[in-house]
Amino acid sequence: MNILRKIQPPLYPIKKVVIPEALSFNLKNGIPVYSIESGTEEIMRVEFTFKAGQIKEYLPLLSSTTNMMLTEGSQNYSSEELNRLLDFYGVFLNLSAEKDRAGIVVFFLSKHIDKVFELCREILFLPAFPEEELDSLMKKRFRWYMVNREKVHNLATDRFFESIFGKGHQYGHQVIKKDFDLMTPALLKDFHVKYYTPDNLAIIISGRIHKKTSGLLNHYFGDLTSGTVYDEEKNTKLKGELKRKVHINKKGTVQTAIRIGSATINKRHPDYTGLKILDSVLGGFFGSRLMKNIREEKGYTYGISSSVTSLDLSGYNIIATEVGKKNCQKTIDEIYKEIRLLQTVHIENDELEIVRNYMSGEMVRMFDGPFALADSFRSAWEFGLDNSYYYRLAEKIKTIDPDEIIELARTYYNIDELYEVTAGTI
Amino acid sequence: MINFSRFTLDNGLKVLVHEDRSTPLVAMNILYNVGSRDEEPDKTGLAHLFEHLMFGGSVNIPEYDMPLQMVGGDNNAFTSNDITNYYLTIPSDNIETGFWLESDRMLELDFSQKNLDTQKNVVIEEYKQRYLNQPYGDAILKLRPLAYKVHPYRWPTIGMDISQIESVDLENARKFFFSHYAPNNAILTLTGSINHDLAFKLCQKWFGPIEKRIVKSRKLPVEPAQNEERILTIKKDVPSTALYKVWHIGPRKSKDFNTLDLVTDLLAGGESGRLYTKLVREKKLFSEINAYLTSDIDPGLLFLQGKLMKGINIQQAEEAINEVITSLTDKPGINDEMEKVKNKFESSTVFSNTAILNKAMSLAFYELLGNPELINHEVDTYRNISIEMVIEATRKYLVPSNCSTLYYKSTRKGN
Repeated sequence: MNILRKIQPPLYPIKKVVIPEALSFNLKNGIPVYSIESGTEEIMRVEFTFKAGQIKEYLPLLSSTTNMMLTEGSQNYSSEELNRLLDFYGVFLNLSAEKDRAGIVVFFLSKHIDKVFELCREILFLPAFPEEELDSLMKKRFRWYMVNREKVHNLATDRFFESIFGKGHQYGHQVIKKDFDLMTPALLKDFHVKYYTPDNLAIIISGRIHKKTSGLLNHYFGDLTSGTVYDEEKNTKLKGELKRKVHINKKGTVQTAIRIGSATINKRHPDYTGLKILDSVLGGFFGSRLMKNIREEKGYTYGISSSVTSLDLSGYNIIATEVGKKNCQKTIDEIYKEIRLLQTVHIENDELEIVRNYMSGEMVRMFDGPFALADSFRSAWEFGLDNSYYYRLAEKIKTIDPDEIIELARTYYNIDELYEVTAGTI
Repeated sequence: MINFSRFTLDNGLKVLVHEDRSTPLVAMNILYNVGSRDEEPDKTGLAHLFEHLMFGGSVNIPEYDMPLQMVGGDNNAFTSNDITNYYLTIPSDNIETGFWLESDRMLELDFSQKNLDTQKNVVIEEYKQRYLNQPYGDAILKLRPLAYKVHPYRWPTIGMDISQIESVDLENARKFFFSHYAPNNAILTLTGSINHDLAFKLCQKWFGPIEKRIVKSRKLPVEPAQNEERILTIKKDVPSTALYKVWHIGPRKSKDFNTLDLVTDLLAGGESGRLYTKLVREKKLFSEINAYLTSDIDPGLLFLQGKLMKGINIQQAEEAINEVITSLTDKPGINDEMEKVKNKFESSTVFSNTAILNKAMSLAFYELLGNPELINHEVDTYRNISIEMVIEATRKYLVPSNCSTLYYKSTRKGN
């Protein structure tokens, strides 16, 4: 029995993932709809996404506040009624305001589709932005902000974005106390009129798609018209701060947060798929080098990870961890050591094989079920890409060689260009 | 409707299989019937530390994660007061690797000093990250011993104290393993792209040869009924004052459990809950407020917590909470409100049962409770709760003499 137990059962190659194509059509007024039929339960996920993220705001908090006020009252419903109705129909509604896009995602039982769409139309296109609700939201948000500023990981992450994108750019600006006093209904209405328009909207649907879906979409959203089309405002240029190493002193903490990384390419760049693989080797999963070294070998931290993320105008890579303060410098040294190793020593085939297989498994999970499918669709679509991006990634996972990994590490993890932000008690 | 089959191996391992061909993956969940309630009071945190040790290699396999990653698998685990739960998902062709790995670590761990030392450090950093380096992170550490005087729920899963985690040695770990990790103390569930016959064959092959073990019997002290209100005040340099209140409830299997679950939904289910509507939206006393049940198997807690707006007096805030609770009996849910929380419960159950991993975890937990069929009946049970039951449960449990309150006061100006 023991002999059998020492040998891993036969390993079957992970099948190439087949991604269902989204069906696309337009509403009467041109709003694009992407629909992915999937799953076994009578449920739907519908995302309404607008080019209305942080990148469009001319004051900090404007995009997120406009978004959060959508459910605080509309032309026909008070904020209390809206929330009660959403709960009554068992709807889960996520508000979302990201760096580039903003909107809502609703999850519901397909049988309630009619009512859900009616409410979504109210929320998205007829918000009232009542002053009292705004005032109360800003007071709450300020309390949440004060609590978040106590956490070293927030201090470090916010400062990291400022460092790599520049404090003058929407991607990099940090929120400060006085920003909470500046929001007014008029400002939010203006932002809403400009950016929450049918011209600016796409709808992504997945799940067991109700047969009435396209008819109802046209009924509730197909007659809306966009007002004046606003010229794209010129954004300030992305430009990292000069200072590459920053420490934020925070009294009384027992751990220090570390963020190391830089602005980088995004999904549209041909090297991006390779960079994703390099990132996995470095810190993208439990078996990565950083996890093995800093957690599993040295026990300095509960977790350490690296990730690479795409934005419309840029991308960024970031290594993130919280460590006991006495191990902070040692951890930073080890992070740079791991990067240098990737730049100078060829990865062994055994290690590369694990990364290839782990990532192939991840790709299966990325397209498993209606919610994962919609997320994956969106994160290619928003960069003007389609499933061919994922097929390229799958191909790169299979074929990348050790020379390429070294080349990518030298190009995209140039240590002189990395920013290092720490927050905690020295 | 979730269909499943069920069998028990000769060594006592219980197995449940739910086939779902809409996914190319299989989820495998192993629940060990051991949690922090099974620890000695001077070795708290051992069950959770042990969960970490389970990834350090087993008797025939030097490393757990690597072979799983090699076949595209992903995994994790968690420990609670009651259970230690391990799970993985894997492309179905390679499911046998899951059986190989999980059966070997059930057979015997490779107890190494190096792994123990490292994982103690990792857990200590986890302790700091979750409880010491977060504002209000230690509230739960203060609340448990206030509410429980004798039952082991008085300590948190991570452990009462860092020094107890530091003091664990290899012998403690080995003893813990052989008295709690056993086929006859575990439940295995398989969901997704796998059928009953294959599951049965692989279970026989990999888990069948593991011998039954003598599992340490569970004799837990019963928490005596609380007869008077308990109050603790602490002062800290935090941005706002926070208020925590907990009430004792019955065990997970008691009939009041579902009713009280519905009570928490009336109080705090979403932004239309009574607490949010009254205290956040109307009276503007709190910036956030929430209520939920701890879902423990032994008698657990109904937990309520809120953060105060600037300048609000804590007694005033507490009275307002009490008024909302009283309103459940004075102005009980009109049918619409009951219908609302029931619809939301149904919706959330349907959503949770779309993912094979959730189904695997729920089936295992319901099996532990004694009836996996519950996975298909929870919505009906919930639908059958009446307004009278809500009033009765509120009157019985949500009373001051059954409550422990923590005033977590901010020392900053203006609070």
